[in-house]
Amino acid sequence: MAELKQKRTLEEVKALSREEAVEVIRHAGVIGAGGGGFPTYIKYKDPQPHLIVNATESEPGYQADKLMHKEYLDEFLQLYEAMIAIFGFEQVSMCVHEKDREWFSDYAEHAGDLYDMRYVPNTYASGEENMLIRHATDTEVPWRVETPDGNRRPGMPLDVGIIVNNSETLLNVYRALFLGRPTTTKFLQVYGEEMDIKVYEVPLGASVAEVLRFAEIDVENSGHLSCLDGGPYLHDMGIEELGETGDAYVRGTTNALMLIQKGTTAYKEYTDIKTDPPKEGIVSLVGLLPKGVNLPLGGRYLKPATPLLSEGDEVAYEQKIGEPVDEGFSIGVWASVGGTVTSIEDNIIAIAGGAVPMEEAEAEAETEAKRHQ
Amino acid sequence: MTYVITEACIQAAMCTAVCPVDCIYDAGDHFIINPEECIDCGLCNPECPVDAIYPDYQLPEEMEHYKTKAAEFDYSGMEPAF
Repeated sequence: MAELKQKRTLEEVKALSREEAVEVIRHAGVIGAGGGGFPTYIKYKDPQPHLIVNATESEPGYQADKLMHKEYLDEFLQLYEAMIAIFGFEQVSMCVHEKDREWFSDYAEHAGDLYDMRYVPNTYASGEENMLIRHATDTEVPWRVETPDGNRRPGMPLDVGIIVNNSETLLNVYRALFLGRPTTTKFLQVYGEEMDIKVYEVPLGASVAEVLRFAEIDVENSGHLSCLDGGPYLHDMGIEELGETGDAYVRGTTNALMLIQKGTTAYKEYTDIKTDPPKEGIVSLVGLLPKGVNLPLGGRYLKPATPLLSEGDEVAYEQKIGEPVDEGFSIGVWASVGGTVTSIEDNIIAIAGGAVPMEEAEAEAETEAKRHQ
Repeated sequence: MTYVITEACIQAAMCTAVCPVDCIYDAGDHFIINPEECIDCGLCNPECPVDAIYPDYQLPEEMEHYKTKAAEFDYSGMEPAF
């Protein structure tokens, strides 16, 4: 069986079987990064003719997906080629908001035999896949479908032969298949009150307060602000009152940390928020947050993985810490920082530490620098 | 485009619990979605225990009047249903 921790050339990736690729994606811990959190490997188990890449930002003011596509153009193009070879797609389509046509002009130039571009209205339907399909194709996902046991369930993209994946989800698939790297980070924006937007790649499980401090927010003296995990429309409350009511942790579905005036209603006050892509692009916080992480072994759709270590163990960056179980949906879990396991409780592994060994961080920085040359 | 609540509604309030913009109101015998406020996220649709919620483009013809009612309903002064 194909191993995760192994670099592959484009030709080697294209030679993987569907089953091998699905296993790599499962063990790498790839989930729907757009907010759904659905395990990605499930979508690829059966052949479907059409892959839709959701490159629309799902909330007002978001910039991360656009930046990601700009910075990882070559990676996305290689991935499309590989996905067609492995999974037999007849069509790959990139869905882009009308307003972002110019931003995606590089992709429009490369479009052709490999993939096509679909421009959709500038609505923020919270990443809703069925609506995206309606806008981008002449297909409609059925309202309900009959199940073999005589019941019915809401229709899904798979019912009309379509897989929809968010941009970051696909970048994580690229990293798993080509680089042999697991999903240990989340791309997110920090924006809202009293700041210009910043886009970070953050270790999964990192402290929200620590990310905000890195973004130069005076957390301890900002009790008038709340921090949402999400955008103005769809979010959970992250920290109700900065500096006072504890902390929250970056999850695999945390697309933004949005600062709002405490006590306000985000969808009433902040949906017209305007941002510009930050000049510095995406800044990686990997290895820069020393406070440690809290990593869940399971999740909304996921049976908890089996922990591979115990309290007190030392763990290395990108070391596997959870083995997926066979029942239900389950994925591999990997350390997003190096450090010491301080607790394993309620299916959450806490790792103290966080600084990646310096030589690893330097090697990564060097690779990134080369990539941008 | 909007979602529409139809006659099967039993006011179980599972839709109101997930609606991110609180656009669902109590119209007496059933809940009703304000199409001016709905953002088409679709979260309410699968939550409904009696399959009463449709996207308007898939609304059965005999239920079209629920869409008309929602468009013409006077929401002024009302609080969203919870």
